[in-house]
Amino acid sequence: MDERKQLYRKNFSLVVTFLILISVSLIVAMLLAYNLTRKNVENEFISQKINVLEEVANPYNDFFQNKIPEISFYQGFLDSASARKYSDTVFLKFPFVERIVFYDAGISNHKIADGLRVNNFSLGPKAVYQFGKKVSADSILLFKNILPNTLSLKTSDEFNKMAMKFAGFIESADTSQALNDNDRYNIFYSVTARKITYMSIPRREDLRVFKDLMFKEQPPSLVYEQDLMTFHLNPYSFIIKNTHPELYQHIIIKPLVYESLENNPELISTDIPLPGAFSDYKLYLSSSKSYLTREINFRFLPIALSLLVIYGVLVFIAYLIFRNLNINSKLFKLQYDFINNLTHEFKTPVSVIKIAGNNIRSASQLSDRERNHYGKILDEEADKLNDMMNRLLSFTQIENKAIKIKEEVINLEVFCQNLIDAYQLKYPHFNITCSIQGVDHFKADPVLLGSLFQNLIDNAYKYSLTDKKELHILIKKANKNLVFRFTDQGIGIPKKELENIFKKFYRIQSQYNQQGSVGLGLAFCKELVNFMHGSIAVKSREGKGSEFKIALPFEELPVA
Amino acid sequence: MLKLARYFLILSTIIFSACKQEEKVKQVALQDFFKNPEKTAFSISPDGKYISYLKPFHNRLNIFVQTIDGKDVTQLTADTVRNIAYYFWADNNEILYLKNYDADEDPALYAVERNGKNTRNLISYKKTRISLISYERAINNEILIALNTRDSTVFDPYRLNIKNAKLTLLVKNPGNITNWYADSKGKLRMAVASDGVDETLLYRESEKEEFKKVLKNNFKTTIAPLGFSKNSSIFALSNQNTDRMTLVEFDCKTGREVRVIYSHPEVDVTDGVISKLKNKLEYAGYETWKKQRYYLDADIKEMYQLIEQQLPNTEIRITDRDSSENNFIVRTYTDRNPGTYYLYTKAANKLTKLSDVNSSLKKELLCEMKPISFKTRDGIIINGYLTLPNTKEVSNLPFVVIPHGGPSSRNSWGYNAEVQFLANRGYGVLQLNYRGSTGYGKAFWIAGFKQWGGKIQEDITDGTKWLIRSKIADPQRIAIYGGSFGGFSALHGLCFNSNLYACGASYSGLINLFTYLKGIPPFYKPYQKMYFEMVGNPEKDGDYFRNSSPIFHTDKIKVPVLIAQGSKDPRVNVNETNQFVKELKKKQIPVTYILKEEEGHFFNKQENKIEFYKELEAFLGRNLKKSN
Repeated sequence: MDERKQLYRKNFSLVVTFLILISVSLIVAMLLAYNLTRKNVENEFISQKINVLEEVANPYNDFFQNKIPEISFYQGFLDSASARKYSDTVFLKFPFVERIVFYDAGISNHKIADGLRVNNFSLGPKAVYQFGKKVSADSILLFKNILPNTLSLKTSDEFNKMAMKFAGFIESADTSQALNDNDRYNIFYSVTARKITYMSIPRREDLRVFKDLMFKEQPPSLVYEQDLMTFHLNPYSFIIKNTHPELYQHIIIKPLVYESLENNPELISTDIPLPGAFSDYKLYLSSSKSYLTREINFRFLPIALSLLVIYGVLVFIAYLIFRNLNINSKLFKLQYDFINNLTHEFKTPVSVIKIAGNNIRSASQLSDRERNHYGKILDEEADKLNDMMNRLLSFTQIENKAIKIKEEVINLEVFCQNLIDAYQLKYPHFNITCSIQGVDHFKADPVLLGSLFQNLIDNAYKYSLTDKKELHILIKKANKNLVFRFTDQGIGIPKKELENIFKKFYRIQSQYNQQGSVGLGLAFCKELVNFMHGSIAVKSREGKGSEFKIALPFEELPVA
Repeated sequence: MLKLARYFLILSTIIFSACKQEEKVKQVALQDFFKNPEKTAFSISPDGKYISYLKPFHNRLNIFVQTIDGKDVTQLTADTVRNIAYYFWADNNEILYLKNYDADEDPALYAVERNGKNTRNLISYKKTRISLISYERAINNEILIALNTRDSTVFDPYRLNIKNAKLTLLVKNPGNITNWYADSKGKLRMAVASDGVDETLLYRESEKEEFKKVLKNNFKTTIAPLGFSKNSSIFALSNQNTDRMTLVEFDCKTGREVRVIYSHPEVDVTDGVISKLKNKLEYAGYETWKKQRYYLDADIKEMYQLIEQQLPNTEIRITDRDSSENNFIVRTYTDRNPGTYYLYTKAANKLTKLSDVNSSLKKELLCEMKPISFKTRDGIIINGYLTLPNTKEVSNLPFVVIPHGGPSSRNSWGYNAEVQFLANRGYGVLQLNYRGSTGYGKAFWIAGFKQWGGKIQEDITDGTKWLIRSKIADPQRIAIYGGSFGGFSALHGLCFNSNLYACGASYSGLINLFTYLKGIPPFYKPYQKMYFEMVGNPEKDGDYFRNSSPIFHTDKIKVPVLIAQGSKDPRVNVNETNQFVKELKKKQIPVTYILKEEEGHFFNKQENKIEFYKELEAFLGRNLKKSN
């Protein structure tokens, strides 16, 4: 018994250890996962601003790389009307452009009042216009060269800068080479704070002509058209698209030097400068701590759930292993009991035989009565042994389906009466009654059916108190089955044992089965019934008695 | 499963047999179509004793001379850097020639003796263009040339002594004279002045007199002097009083047409050939669906008939003759034959073969070029040419529509390497003389003015729709391809008729009309006003320019594009082409871009040409595949 207990305890502690271990792992994993998620969110808060910037700056890049160079496509032929049309398309598509100043300029070797003159090269505006949403109709025209010397310094500032750059370029340009991208950017773009000025790029042949204008004394030349445009930009008109609303609560455009003076420890912020002409502004992105925590929790949730699922699966597997171990340990116990019982059961007849044998050997003379007595004892005990061995054998045979049914038509009345008579002879105080209703013949293997009856009758006898040894057998046809009911007035079966009684080697621990029981009886019955394609069930009330109900398939016999 | 396998088997047999059928037409190697002629520019010496020609020497064209019976071949020049662009017999002993030059090189005029000796440079100025006034023999060792040394936009006429290279300025160009004409005695007696829109014909009786205005015309009206007749009369092609060009005799004293010599009821008279010997018109040339002659001299008619008897089923053209008009250089051609040069001796009525233009092409493998015509949406008849591949199937073909350049030019019947190459590759080719093309009268030409992105494109579109309507073309497999203005039309078609074409190719195509007008070279300045009238004024017609120029409409292109461009092309700004390609690429449109740094408008180098056509072949193969 001690060993068994130890075995059981070992299992349990192992399981407990395992459970503790995986629970600890779960907690550690949860903590780690949470921390990683938090780190991840915090990192993303810092890094994803590039994404937001890209989205915000996209229209600017499109404007800078595609829309502005379109001015060159006009080859200097823009006038106030076409420049206005061009400007309108700009305002429509790029809201951050606030105002456009258009210089309709000319390059020649004429002497000019306004503009730039280097050697014989002059670059001067013929007219200056401005366009914009807020520009009133009467302020569109800023300058016209029919009124010389009226160009204000403020208006001409950008123009002069570009003109200087361009003149410098013409002076040193290698006109045999095609313009490279660097020149294109350095000479024809001027990008300053919130202002981009662009001059239409002349063809290579034009550059050659301009160079000649500058250095050669020539008769008055043609006026070569050149267009300049200054775009005044407003960073606050940028359309900000929050591509990461889960990370950033607020995105605003602020001057580059802006620092939040709010003393709010709850607020986390980061910033990134805007490109090109907006480089003195930045995107200022901020979120409250709780906002980020919400995002962390949101991201952590699926991780936690999956961890819990893994944990659950592990626990379930542990439970299954534990259950298997438990069942195995119970089976082990049953087999142990069986060997014990069987030894005991075999021991009794063997010792009786041994005593009888001893007596016979030690007696100097045997009277006839003595010889009869010992003979009978030996015969009976040998029968008992034989019976026990047969039962064990047939049980294993049935269990392995090794026997074949030999069916024959049984007269139930005769079959029952024979059995009852035999038991009356064996146990005179055992009162067995039998009633058969609505059937007299049944086709079955008489040996198997006999075994079934014997087992149940034996059980009824065994588990009944001395003064209440009664059994009623009812045989009845129900639907396609023949039902046998064995009702006794015995000690009954406790409820919790009901489901176990048909198991092999199971035996109710009670004072009534101290001797001569292997715990095979009912298991054997069940095997038999299964073998005969029937079913067995039990109803019982402790102290009142039990009722075993067997249903076997019934075939209507042809009326002979 | 088995069913599926069987289906595949059937399908693959169909495809296989289809391929087989299409491959029946033997492909001619690409190089063969575009081969440079072995010998070209045949010319005969004034005394008829020598024949000269250009022939590649170390891959450059150089001058060779042989005797009339093909013996004693002498190589006169051995330039391995530049091609000889033009040459002529100045007299029986001497040949004058111009070398090819490009933007970075200066032209020069040279003289060489028949035996290859005494080569000398007659004129070589920096940044000067040389233009010949008399392409004829030298008279008293003198020829007339025009040079723009004084002002790059103005050409002054000079008399050049070819023996001592002495230049004499004849008269100072007041700045507006665009053309000078000399009479048969080498005297400068006529000029055309232009203020851009109006042209004035100037004339003088002798070099001692001043030029007098004879006639003032709008540039739309032409009077093209062919040569002096007698006294003050000239032969000229003129459409002064008619819609179509007619061959007239014109009196320069009165400024009146004396008589109409020949006019054709449908098309312009394009040519009038004068016999110097007889001082008489030989025939008037005109071009209906092919070039034809109206004889004005019975003798000449008889001679042509004698030649035609010996060269049946081919067109002939006399390209040069000696002074006695007994020996002639004759060139033949058809749509399926680039032709052959012959020497014809009139006295003996004998033809001697000189050289094939391209002997590697077999006539059976080339395709017939048929004249066609269709009606446009506004009821105008447009003429064109249809070249179908030599396949059994003549409907539902893959097609290439090729609008010609110009647009002031026309497609003509005859061997066209590009068309034959495409037809040999299994494509049908449509060429069309849309309105604005020349040769069909003044009104038809003017109808194309300021319609570069308008009616001209509609005519091209209608041509494509006509192909579809007549079931010749597979509507899913039509490409549009062209060079220069044709490239503009191709890109225009892709922008504004994107559902009509499966792909398009532009070879040095204009992509921006603003740039095109800006690109008129300085010496064309007088023509600027004319260009404004023909194309439009970039300042006044800015909207039309913007709406027509493909560069402003990259967003409308939906199909694959091939663009070939030379970096030195003055008519196209390569920066713009780059930008154009960049934007197409950004819109995920497959673009094949062939950019050649050293090339100008159209590729000059043979290897670049071949590469371009290889790419074009692959591009069309990719995009005009049968879709099943």
